[in-house]
Amino acid sequence: MSLIIQADSVSKIFQQRKRLPGLSGTLRGLLKPETVPVRAVEEISFAIRAGEAVGYLGPNGAGKSTMIKMLTGILAPSTGKVHVLGRQPVEERVANAREIGVVFGQRSQLWWDLPVSDSFDLARHIYRIDPARFAENRAEMVEMLALGSFLDRPVRQLSLGQRMRADIAMALLHGPKILFLDEPTIGLDVVAKDVVRKFLARINRQRGTTIILTTHDLQDIEEICPRLIMVDDGRLLFDGPLRSLRRSFGARRRLRLDFYTDPGPIWIGGARPVGSSGTQREFEVDEDGRSLIDLISALPPGTPLRDASLHEPGIEEVIRTHYQRRRA
Amino acid sequence: MRETLMLWWQLMRLRARARLQNRLSLVLAWISQGFGYAGAFASIWVILNRFGGLGGWRWPELAFLLGFQIFGYALGAMFTFTQFRFMEEQVRDGEFDMLLVRPVNPWSFLVFSGIDLQYGSHFALGLVLMIMAGLQLDLDWDLLMILRLLLSLMSAAMLTGAMFTALGACAFVLGRSRFLFGLYFDFWELSRYPAIIFGLPLQLILLTILPFSYMGFVPVSVLLGKPVPILGDAAPMLAILAGPITALIAAWIWRACLRRYQGFGV
Repeated sequence: MSLIIQADSVSKIFQQRKRLPGLSGTLRGLLKPETVPVRAVEEISFAIRAGEAVGYLGPNGAGKSTMIKMLTGILAPSTGKVHVLGRQPVEERVANAREIGVVFGQRSQLWWDLPVSDSFDLARHIYRIDPARFAENRAEMVEMLALGSFLDRPVRQLSLGQRMRADIAMALLHGPKILFLDEPTIGLDVVAKDVVRKFLARINRQRGTTIILTTHDLQDIEEICPRLIMVDDGRLLFDGPLRSLRRSFGARRRLRLDFYTDPGPIWIGGARPVGSSGTQREFEVDEDGRSLIDLISALPPGTPLRDASLHEPGIEEVIRTHYQRRRA
Repeated sequence: MRETLMLWWQLMRLRARARLQNRLSLVLAWISQGFGYAGAFASIWVILNRFGGLGGWRWPELAFLLGFQIFGYALGAMFTFTQFRFMEEQVRDGEFDMLLVRPVNPWSFLVFSGIDLQYGSHFALGLVLMIMAGLQLDLDWDLLMILRLLLSLMSAAMLTGAMFTALGACAFVLGRSRFLFGLYFDFWELSRYPAIIFGLPLQLILLTILPFSYMGFVPVSVLLGKPVPILGDAAPMLAILAGPITALIAAWIWRACLRRYQGFGV
């Protein structure tokens, strides 16, 4: 599959105006404004192939939205290059916009006072969609996202979940090659999140639409995106399959052993003791490949073992531990 | 081009439908604004009656000026005022970002999707004043005169739209622009009067840096055959060209500010 998004050493530096206190400060600010450079994105490179679904993850202020804005043509990079479908988005904003769909979780493209169907009709004019193709896409979206029951209701009367479904449908009516989603599940309840996630995974699989998704919710990524790009403080931390994240961040599995009686100090090769309480012992396992049987076999003979378990750290735990370690 | 026109039409249609969802509030807005302006104009009429004239302008002439000024302003403001006045909020809340990810010209989209029906009373008041004053003034309304009136009104409308565009565009760079609209209306009030009553420095400012005189005084003086100080014989041409010239400058400012657009948040 061909590369459709490329970011080469992309940085974005904002010049933030310094607010000076008092009236004299305000006047000075107007006549001779002082600015402070804020580095939102620093030297980030990645490439995305057609049909991929990529989660772009990071804490608040990590530069996720800035990267999405550069890929969608809203902002120009300060240094480095961004290419989307062979174009520099900000230079060819209109041509780029015709081939992408964008959903911002906290904003809507729908007309507040009018029925959803009116906004869909407007999309037909905005994207110059052939009427037959429009009818086909619209029917498909209505069916897949179950929009039929509220298509003719004013947007202001819809629930957040219904609005998000309608927004996603609107972004896909023109059949974009890439769908950018900025926090699409923010504020949604569990059921609505599930509908959105399942739909996005299906669109990616069936239509081959490339999906770039920013989120705080790791479950979004686990259910939609096999690949994860993680950023923090504007820098790239990780780019790869979700399953490699644990190894890459040095997250180790935990072995928990429960004995009938206190076994005293226990040593297992390739496992480091990390906790002990009464008849329980806990170890961090160095190697990913070792099985539970391997580890139990390494116990000294005659040890009164009652139960044993091996825990994989959850993605959320891995990332939380990483951020906490970084902030400490 | 046909698709673009269709899009503009569709945007205006949707905007009108959305606004007509609450007809009562629209009618109330017309009534309250109509009364507001009628009150302001009545106070000018009282002053004029007491002093007999204002800078050599009698009531019917001034009434024509008031009618022209409010009609031309409404024509420009109905396409631009609401959207560009709220540009600061649109930038801050990311609404403007939503425009940039669509394959449209953001300025046109803003203009046609924000057309405001609240100016009904402005048009009615302006038209009534111009017709009543026009009848009293015994003007020779030939085809050229009507054409000149229409072009001058278009120019005044363009001037209004251009100034709102330029002020709104400042939000791209400064992050704020609302305060500029307050300053605008302080000067805009002056365009209701014959500029001849002001001192020379202010007259010059109103003809150049803040071209409010072209919203009423200059075109109406030309239509009424009254002399225009400073501009002299160039007044008839400038009464029609001021709008397009300001629009070109505003387009340049809009593009320059948009190039420096940084959005909000990281």
